[in-house]
Amino acid sequence: MLKTLLDGAVMMAYLSCALFFLRFHRQSRDRLFAFFSLAFALMGVHNLLTTVVGPDLDAERRYFLFVVRLVAYLLILGAIWDKNRAGRGTR
Amino acid sequence: MAETVYILCALTSVACAVLLLRAWRRTRMKLLLYSGLCFAIFAVNNVLLFVDLVLIPAGDLSLARTVTSLLGSGVLLYGLIWDVS
Repeated sequence: MLKTLLDGAVMMAYLSCALFFLRFHRQSRDRLFAFFSLAFALMGVHNLLTTVVGPDLDAERRYFLFVVRLVAYLLILGAIWDKNRAGRGTR
Repeated sequence: MAETVYILCALTSVACAVLLLRAWRRTRMKLLLYSGLCFAIFAVNNVLLFVDLVLIPAGDLSLARTVTSLLGSGVLLYGLIWDVS
């Protein structure tokens, strides 16, 4: 019960972060924030799937859910790489 | 395959934390500090994930993993609400 409650809080926090980054993207038109927003939304989706579908999955299939999390982290890395590349281009 | 995904999750979160904190040291932008701290806590979470599901499959660290996720996202949310907005 406590874990389900905390999982809900985590998902809410991820989605709130995603909305903040979406706002920053709309204000600044900076692609970095769009990537961050998408990544945090994906982490929220991952959290939802782990809580709802996760308990029914066996150990061999459970890792598929974590691929979503990995994609979110790769998006962040891609966003940082993209930002650094853009920074070098303007110098 | 599962181990590879968990290890990659840990490595990518460490890479995100290092890159964000390095960028913060250079620019002193608060958003980068909070994002870096958030990913540092996510890195701990992913190490716990590997320990929980691969090293000690009989044990259950799911509550600790949820708490670290909450802590990581909470740090970023705190920063976004109080320091950055």
